[in-house]
Amino acid sequence: MLKYLLKRSGIYLVMIFLTTSAGYFLAVSSLKPALLEQEKIPRPSPEQVTNSFRLLGLDPTKNPWERYVDWLGGVITRWDWGRSPNGAYVNAEFTDRVMVSTRLFIASIILTLVIGVALGVYSAARQYKFQDRAITSYSYLVHILPAPIAYFLVQLGAININEALGQRIFFVTGISTPGIDPGWPAFVDLVAHYAVPTFAMTVFGWAGYQIAQRQYLLDNVNADFVRTARAKGLTRNQAITRHALRVSFIPVAQSIAFTIPAIFTGGFFAEAIFAWPGVGLWSIQSIGMQDVNVATAMLAYGSVIFAVGAILADFATTIVDPRVRVQ
Amino acid sequence: MTNIIDPIAELDEARVENQDVVIAKSRIIFRRFMRNRTAVAGLFIFLALFLFSWVGGFLTPWDKETIDPFNIGMGPSPEHFLGTSQAGIDLLAMVVEGTRISILIGVIVGGLSVLISAIYGCSMAFFGGKVDSVMLFILEALIMMPAILVVAVATGSGGDGLRALPSWLLLIVVLLVFSWMGTARLVRSLSMSLMQRDYVKAAKYMGIPSMKIVRRHLVPNIGSLLVLDFTRGVTGAVLAEVAFSFIGIGIKAPDISLGVLIGQSTGQVSSFPWMFWVPLTVMFLLTGSLAMMNDGLRDAFDPSSSSIGSAKSKTAKKKTR
Repeated sequence: MLKYLLKRSGIYLVMIFLTTSAGYFLAVSSLKPALLEQEKIPRPSPEQVTNSFRLLGLDPTKNPWERYVDWLGGVITRWDWGRSPNGAYVNAEFTDRVMVSTRLFIASIILTLVIGVALGVYSAARQYKFQDRAITSYSYLVHILPAPIAYFLVQLGAININEALGQRIFFVTGISTPGIDPGWPAFVDLVAHYAVPTFAMTVFGWAGYQIAQRQYLLDNVNADFVRTARAKGLTRNQAITRHALRVSFIPVAQSIAFTIPAIFTGGFFAEAIFAWPGVGLWSIQSIGMQDVNVATAMLAYGSVIFAVGAILADFATTIVDPRVRVQ
Repeated sequence: MTNIIDPIAELDEARVENQDVVIAKSRIIFRRFMRNRTAVAGLFIFLALFLFSWVGGFLTPWDKETIDPFNIGMGPSPEHFLGTSQAGIDLLAMVVEGTRISILIGVIVGGLSVLISAIYGCSMAFFGGKVDSVMLFILEALIMMPAILVVAVATGSGGDGLRALPSWLLLIVVLLVFSWMGTARLVRSLSMSLMQRDYVKAAKYMGIPSMKIVRRHLVPNIGSLLVLDFTRGVTGAVLAEVAFSFIGIGIKAPDISLGVLIGQSTGQVSSFPWMFWVPLTVMFLLTGSLAMMNDGLRDAFDPSSSSIGSAKSKTAKKKTR
């Protein structure tokens, strides 16, 4: 098992290296921070721009290959992912951004999972009844609504509630109010900021799990081993929870591990709409600011998260499914 | 030995030709599809939107560039059926243009990505061994790349060569590069298992050429998946375009798409509501009609489909209860 995981990790490391390198070349050849400097007032001379970028390690006179070698050397020898055109260190800012993203997503990820799987089981057990039709058609409806627009609609709704009540209950953007007292007021403030994004991401997030869980459970409900369980004298619910549910959870467990990168990309939209300065928003902004090093670091981060998800998926399958053996 | 003619088989064939009604496969598929009312409704909505996107421009004398200085930011009126933007441009003309671009992106990306994934997946399964593992490696490396970053780099700050292209074409290329991997993997595993089936083996031992086996046995079995994936791919591409343009990294003004129209109007939902709700409704109709067709197409194309008319499906439902 350990040997297998190590081998997979090795393959993924090579892949991460390749995607990151490809991303670096794409970024270095298309992002030109010098053009943005021209818009500053007073306008710096091209020599000044070149000079300041050279000090930051973003020398525009070098060719992409030389810059790539410099950058890779920094990453490998000093774990230094370079600097932004405005002088900020990528390493330092990265930690803050990851913390913000994690805080934003952790609650909604857990809620989405629990609600999605539970509704999937519930609707499968009541196939074609009213509850099943309502839950499943809601899930299909969510499928045809792009995430940023869904979030925006929730935001509009929250604003309307605030206006109707005449006071600000929900904050639709931002993390916290500056200068709030610690203790109880800080907690209330936190909840008020959390409520809208978490609600939006949960309500529009569980559809995928619900449909998948319902489908897999229905595939198994009429299987022979469930009929055997019923013949042994178990009630229908017992047979479903003890026998059908376990088997049908295997592919869902796999998809759970794989949604980590999907949440990461969903994060772009949520962070952009709700103005949480997390990883996703940083990536988009970095491209707007023509920031080669941040864009590459984000690409590498995305690849690493995906690899972790894929390995977790393998791991989850071997744990949940007794039929899978790793040699 | 090969010239021996089975008299019974010949008799069977003659009987089939003379008496029994043989329904062509395309006809069966068509009938099965027409049986699903929701799917037919979806098809009609989609066709109507398609028609609207090409001839809708004749409904209004205005075009997407002319500014009407007397009607700036006005709601729907007899002169402008859907109102005008805050710059005084007729919304109907813009929605027609936006719908056309969105459908174009969806159909091109959906169609080509299905084609690429079918070819890629089938060749992985067909060649196997080293070729398979190298191709799988490339595929997984592509899945790994966060598509959104590449979209942002390519459309936002592409080099001089990329800037010359219209942004919708650029978006099509980028979406295409990142849309086919999932299906390709599915096609690979599906055709690998199909190659092991007895009827494929039997056909091989009978000396039937591989191309014929692929056409007779593989394509019909994967076909349902591919057709389904086409509509799903179109939906996905339309949604991706709307989402990317909405946060400002997909299609850029002055090019118009549904996503651009929705994204531009979010700032003034309360003062110019029609600018937001009209393109949103059109987008809903577009993606909704595709979703409605999806189910019907699956039933129609799947060779193992249990959709066999209303009389039987009633009893089938009773059984499952």
